[in-house]
Amino acid sequence: METSLFDAAAQGLLNLIQLKVWFALLAGVAIGTFTAVAPQGIGTPLVYAIALPVVIRWEPLTGIALLIGASSVSAICAAYLPVLFGIPGGGGSQATVLDGYPMGKRGEARRALGASFMAGGMGCLIGTLTLVIAVPAAKPLIYLMGSPELFVVMLWGLSMVAVLAGRRPIKGLIAAAFGLLIAMIGQQAQSGVMRFVFDQPYLLDGISISIIALAMFGIPSALDLALTKLGVEQQAVPLKGSLFDGIRDTLREWWLVVRCSFVGVWVGIVPGLGSQVVDWLAYGHAAQSCKGARESFGRGDVRGVIAPESANDAKDGGDLITTLLLGFPQGVATALFIVALLAWGFLPGPEMVKKNPELIYSIIWIQGIAGIIGTLVGFVLSGQLAKLAELRYTFMVSILFIFILMGAFSVHRDPLDLVAVVGFGILGYFMRRYAYPRPAMILGLVLGDLMEKYLYRSMMAYGFSWLARPAVIVLLILAAVSFVFTLRGRLKSKSESPASLGGAMGRAEDES
Amino acid sequence: MKANFGLFFLAIFLVAVWTGWEWPYIAKLMPVYIAAIPGFALVLVQLYRDATDWEGGRGGQGGGIEMDEVYDLKLEKKVELRRTVAFFAWFAGGALAIWVFGIVIALPALVFLYALVEGKERWITSLAMSACTFLLVWGLFEYMLESRWPPGVLFR
Repeated sequence: METSLFDAAAQGLLNLIQLKVWFALLAGVAIGTFTAVAPQGIGTPLVYAIALPVVIRWEPLTGIALLIGASSVSAICAAYLPVLFGIPGGGGSQATVLDGYPMGKRGEARRALGASFMAGGMGCLIGTLTLVIAVPAAKPLIYLMGSPELFVVMLWGLSMVAVLAGRRPIKGLIAAAFGLLIAMIGQQAQSGVMRFVFDQPYLLDGISISIIALAMFGIPSALDLALTKLGVEQQAVPLKGSLFDGIRDTLREWWLVVRCSFVGVWVGIVPGLGSQVVDWLAYGHAAQSCKGARESFGRGDVRGVIAPESANDAKDGGDLITTLLLGFPQGVATALFIVALLAWGFLPGPEMVKKNPELIYSIIWIQGIAGIIGTLVGFVLSGQLAKLAELRYTFMVSILFIFILMGAFSVHRDPLDLVAVVGFGILGYFMRRYAYPRPAMILGLVLGDLMEKYLYRSMMAYGFSWLARPAVIVLLILAAVSFVFTLRGRLKSKSESPASLGGAMGRAEDES
Repeated sequence: MKANFGLFFLAIFLVAVWTGWEWPYIAKLMPVYIAAIPGFALVLVQLYRDATDWEGGRGGQGGGIEMDEVYDLKLEKKVELRRTVAFFAWFAGGALAIWVFGIVIALPALVFLYALVEGKERWITSLAMSACTFLLVWGLFEYMLESRWPPGVLFR
């Protein structure tokens, strides 16, 4: 008998009453806080890549608690680098520099941080609530989707991600195709054919996604630190002002928080948009809609901190809507989250909604609880965490060396794992240097197997006649139209900087 | 170098098509027809655009936001090259050391030497970092979790 969603929500909460789940959640919160505050480059994707080989050996809820705890909190606490150093934090906190750093320079760093934590916490809760509402609302639609429809949705989503990835859509598509190809290495389950194995036993099961993700994101991040020698050549502004002023500001601007949170949720849902975009969209909206923004934004207006931070945290809720309900990841972190779910035996998407709704609600509860804990951690430990942001690059690079090499070696404990991590690390460096977007490649890598599975099921069940299913035709038309229009628009349009937001960026640059 | 990197993808897709052409239909549908052939065509388009400076001639790339981190390091070329080579040398050296000596010895040694030589940290700081690494690699995994790391080639 199918479980009602209310029962599933209640069961989802009851399933969390285990000590090890709470320990894992707190560990995730600690890791997320550290990565948010530590010098740039160490974001949620890298945390997931490092944690993946370990957590997939745990029980599902424990592993989920750690992963969701880390990602939820890392967004809330991401304002340290922008406010204290004037450098962009991880994806989603770049726009915070524009007003956060001027506030820091004039002695209001704590106010800026307080506003960002409060806005982030509220944004996280709004994103989570949206996810709660989305599950029953989307359920009838999801039940209509079979393998053919899911294949088309994934192909559409992947192509949109590739085309929207940066200013070079062709390179995005190349990276996505390359990712799909790498996913095909190994023995195909359906036919038994050894694909791209070249008589190497190591390649029989394919190359581990953990190793690839670790190498492609971890090594360029560590290299950035080694190149810029962060922590030695940059100094923080003093931590002055009052956190409570920031809290009061955020509560006073509650309507801005709500609007920007929905911007974040929308960005999370739409394939192709990601954390690199969410803060700019929210900042732009605030710059256009807030009274007096034209004069004050870019000069230390607290609303310029509230807007991007609330959107950045609400985005996670939107991400999880498509990840859990459609099985389509929105970025590298959600792609790796899907890898973990698959390793635990869960297939995100309609199958998970039908068979494991209580797990979906457990994830929702964990998301909400982690957001609350992350906000409290930010408030209580703001002084101590600020010191973490000044860690010298030697510590950070060493930590990354340890986790990348140990993480890669722990997958099979085979020396060839080390060859793979070095090789993909070099590839990741060149891909980033020559603007072939790595997220598009990782999405292709993660989705490759799933897409092939849905395609195979479609072909076995319907032959080629699955292409004539009404829902498939509608989806294909929508996909083709949006893809062609987007690609044409991207190829024809002139360069537009996301920072060309009226006078704000110009003033920020002049006054820095 | 930009075009050369495109040639890397060209070679990969070409090898994929060549290798997969003889497979049964169900085995080659995704890798050859959906990934490699379209990928090959796209790389040719990109190589043409690179060769004719398509993006420069149009006053910049198509409008949009970078999804990946933007590579906008402002360092002198020589400094950047030197630091990049040094970084990969340390990383590859660490990987090699794990194979030769085993991870329990190699990682603490890597951390110690990197901090001391590259990071110019003090001896005591470098030793402390190395000790923490040893505690993590041996203390947590081998001692507490009883999950033995394989020995290096030298100790087999």
